[in-house]
Amino acid sequence: MIAFLARRLVTLLTTLAVAALVIFGVTEVLPGDPAAVMLGLTATPETVAALRAELGLDAPMLVRFLAWIGGFFTGNLGVSYAYRVPVAGLIAERLQVTAPLALLASLFASSIGITLGALAASRANSAVDSLLMAGAQVGLAIPNFWFGILMVLVFAIGLGWFPAGGFPGWESGLLDGLQALFLPALALALPQAAVLARLTRTAVLEALGEDFVRTARAKGLTAAQTLRRHVLRNAMVPVVTMMALQFSFLVTGTIIIENVFALPGLGRLIFQSVGGHDLVTVKSLVMIYVGCVMVVNAIVDMTYGLIDPRLRFGRGVGR
Amino acid sequence: MIHRALRHPSFVVGLAITLMVLLIAILAVFWTPHDPTAIRISARLRPPSATNWLGTDQFGRDVFSMLILGARNALLVGIVAVGIGLSIGVALGMVAATGEGSLLDEGIMRVCDFTFAFPAVLTAILILTFLGPGLVNAIIAIGIFNIPVFARIARGAALQVMARDYIRAARAAGRSTPGILARHVLPNITGILIVQASVQFALAILAEAGLSYLGIGTQPPNPSWGRMLNDSQTFLAQAPTLALFPGAAIALAVLGFNMLGDGLRDVLDPKSLER
Repeated sequence: MIAFLARRLVTLLTTLAVAALVIFGVTEVLPGDPAAVMLGLTATPETVAALRAELGLDAPMLVRFLAWIGGFFTGNLGVSYAYRVPVAGLIAERLQVTAPLALLASLFASSIGITLGALAASRANSAVDSLLMAGAQVGLAIPNFWFGILMVLVFAIGLGWFPAGGFPGWESGLLDGLQALFLPALALALPQAAVLARLTRTAVLEALGEDFVRTARAKGLTAAQTLRRHVLRNAMVPVVTMMALQFSFLVTGTIIIENVFALPGLGRLIFQSVGGHDLVTVKSLVMIYVGCVMVVNAIVDMTYGLIDPRLRFGRGVGR
Repeated sequence: MIHRALRHPSFVVGLAITLMVLLIAILAVFWTPHDPTAIRISARLRPPSATNWLGTDQFGRDVFSMLILGARNALLVGIVAVGIGLSIGVALGMVAATGEGSLLDEGIMRVCDFTFAFPAVLTAILILTFLGPGLVNAIIAIGIFNIPVFARIARGAALQVMARDYIRAARAAGRSTPGILARHVLPNITGILIVQASVQFALAILAEAGLSYLGIGTQPPNPSWGRMLNDSQTFLAQAPTLALFPGAAIALAVLGFNMLGDGLRDVLDPKSLER
């Protein structure tokens, strides 16, 4: 048991280290001297050299790599070339948009997906079931950014219930903030909800065939009670796993959705910094995104190993 | 098997949609109602009419012509990106399977695990910004992420096949390992690869649309559904139909390939129907 957790932890740390090396290495070999980019075309070689020294760009590569890694623990990730503010502060500020957005989206995805999936399973092979599963198939095919645009068309431009984009900031009130995040979160949630609905249906159908369901009905529980107390609970293991594994799609989904709705979040920041060759910001952001995904996947593997000892030896979940 | 396939609703609908998209894409090579790059500012943002079936965009270009050329673009992305993943991935997966447990196998599978941990869209954005935006680079970026998918599936399926008696018989008969892989293993894992290819095809179309929407995929004047959606957003209030058609086209194409994949899975592996 301990050995399994330790092994998985070592794998995680190794993968994170390799990822950090790759990301750092790639930003190193990229063309363009950041100092020269910052100062523009008219800069003299002397001023460029002075700025390089100021930014710490003339230190040996290994020193800069270790300083960068250390920065994740001390909170000093350097200064953004484009925004001229500390990267850590920039990320913390943008996280105030992206974290609630991702949270709201997973909330929508799980509540919609699990409810509809359970409904479809409880009416298996009925018209309701076929309709719901056809809907899930369509939900999987619709690009989330198009769904976002359609909702803007209907609910922002047509009905005027929500803003078409932008974010007022949390200081203008919780309600205004949530209103600005509602449509983006719904757009982000659509494909996830479709996946979860399909999976929940399968998992519930499987659980419905178990003996304990017959026992529950025999002792006098209604179909609804059995579904809620026994079936759903058993069906939730694969569903929760899938939610965690989909975290990666949710996180990268924010990059496009934040662009659709002009939200000042991490996703938009990463896109803008990549476009502006703001490499200091890019490498830390990419590391954070990749790190989050790797940590979540590792946690899923570990909890699964805790639940089902057979999985402690193979290649892990979902492979 | 063909009989069973033709009675499977998901397969039939998926195949019909896919064939339709394919025919439209082929048609677009030879004929479009208007020149999709012809700019006519005097006829900008027109609603659908007899001359411009789906209306015109902000430069007066014919939306229907752009849309059917977009189908060609989407299929091109799917074919090449999935092709890259299939050819390299399957080769790697089968090599890994023949040396199961060896250092080479470990190495290949570790690199696959590692690539999987990188969020695809994020990495594609990075690749495209530094290779430069454009269709070819977008296809390469999407193709790279298909490699570990196929490598893993090919390895798993090949291992199952290689445990069979007829492989031992072939080996006893003196066949070389490459010969066994080509003659016995590959034909037996084709089914599962085709199913996955169909799903990856849909994902590739979605990915290209997303990248082009962000402005780093297909570049003008080549029409792309994703880019058309991006353009449409500026004129959403004046010309809402501009946002409807390209998105519906993406959804339809993706739906077709997904349903085809679902159907093929059931048809090629009847056991999955029992669920």
